[in-house]
Amino acid sequence: MPEGAGSAAAQTGARCSCDFSMAVFADLDLRAGSDLKALRGLVENAAHLGYSVVAINHVVEFKEKKQEIEKPVAVSELFTTLPIVQGKSRPIKVLTRLTIIVSDPSHCNVLVACTHLDVDLVCITVTEKLPFYFKRPPINVAIDRGVGFELVYSPAIKDSTMRRYTISNALNLMQVCKGKNVIISSAAERPLEIRGPYDVANLGLLFGLTESDARAAVSTNCRAALLHGETRKTAFGIISTVKKPRPSEADDDSLPACKKAKCEG
Amino acid sequence: MVRFKHRYLLCELVSDDPRCRLNLEDRVLSGLVRDTIARVHGTFGAASCSIGFAVRYLNAYTGIVLLRCRKEFYQLVCSALPFITYLENKGHRYPCFLNTLHVGGTIRTCQKFLIHYNRRQLLMLLQNCTDEGEREAIQKSVTRSCLLEERSDEEQLSDSGGEEPSEAME
Repeated sequence: MPEGAGSAAAQTGARCSCDFSMAVFADLDLRAGSDLKALRGLVENAAHLGYSVVAINHVVEFKEKKQEIEKPVAVSELFTTLPIVQGKSRPIKVLTRLTIIVSDPSHCNVLVACTHLDVDLVCITVTEKLPFYFKRPPINVAIDRGVGFELVYSPAIKDSTMRRYTISNALNLMQVCKGKNVIISSAAERPLEIRGPYDVANLGLLFGLTESDARAAVSTNCRAALLHGETRKTAFGIISTVKKPRPSEADDDSLPACKKAKCEG
Repeated sequence: MVRFKHRYLLCELVSDDPRCRLNLEDRVLSGLVRDTIARVHGTFGAASCSIGFAVRYLNAYTGIVLLRCRKEFYQLVCSALPFITYLENKGHRYPCFLNTLHVGGTIRTCQKFLIHYNRRQLLMLLQNCTDEGEREAIQKSVTRSCLLEERSDEEQLSDSGGEEPSEAME
């Protein structure tokens, strides 16, 4: 329904008008600082720019010993009424997300993480030149499993050496994965670091994606990653238990490779 | 065809400092965009984008900007716009960014989109405003803009341009 029409419009090639009136945009990475006010400003800005779904990201360093993971920010603390998305009449949906940084290569090789670990997204760090090359077999396995690759763009906006590393790492990734299952998000900490969905799709062009892939990176692939996260709680993506007395959403019976755009009931 | 084809980029300047929009001038903005293109795409980008580049419309109250560039190079301009982080005028630097709303082939399509967008903004302002006097003023603007739907587009553009309540919201 919405995404199908959105991607069909993208296929008409040279049309320059951005027919974004149908697609749902998501920015899956807003860095949660300690400042609630900045976070609130960020979410309001995201709603004003047209994002329907945002995820607040908590970053945790992986340590050997067991550690306390801080409690995620409760959405009800931030807002009493969620701001309305520009262009639609629904309020913005705010989710939370956890990112684990694994810096020890012997403990957990990144490429092994693609294939075995139960994650939804693999973030490609852009802050330094990657010490390893992407190899095609693990990446293909990850794509089949439905794991997405995430590229972040706010370092590129801030600093020019970061920009070089971001673009080179992104192009490297594109040559291996051919643009499938890639999402682009901002690691924004302040309200002025986030960019609108059309601008982010243009950034995708700089990163080596084709125009249709870049639009998908902001809309359909994000949705696929979210659904992948939901299906981890369910049995084969068909049955899910919900606590509230609401009719459970009839999930599609496609397995973890939730790349197919799905109509929400 | 002998005509030069252009692309018109409709952008909105978003900033948390209200003085930033008042400092919008076409020379300042034109210099800023050219600088950013030179930073991102280098000498080739700066040279190729400067031939057809112009700032066609500027509204300091709402922060709407209409840029023109040649069709062959519009992607270079489009992809350099997210890298704008501040606006500098008379020695003051204001952090801001440009949000692209619409890309059109002619000024008329951009105008149609802008009217539609402004109408939606008025409705959102109506929801958010707290003062009775403001509410009446906005309601009058909304009804006026709906009545003028059949009239020519230029009048509507100048009508919905003067939005003082928008400063209260932003």
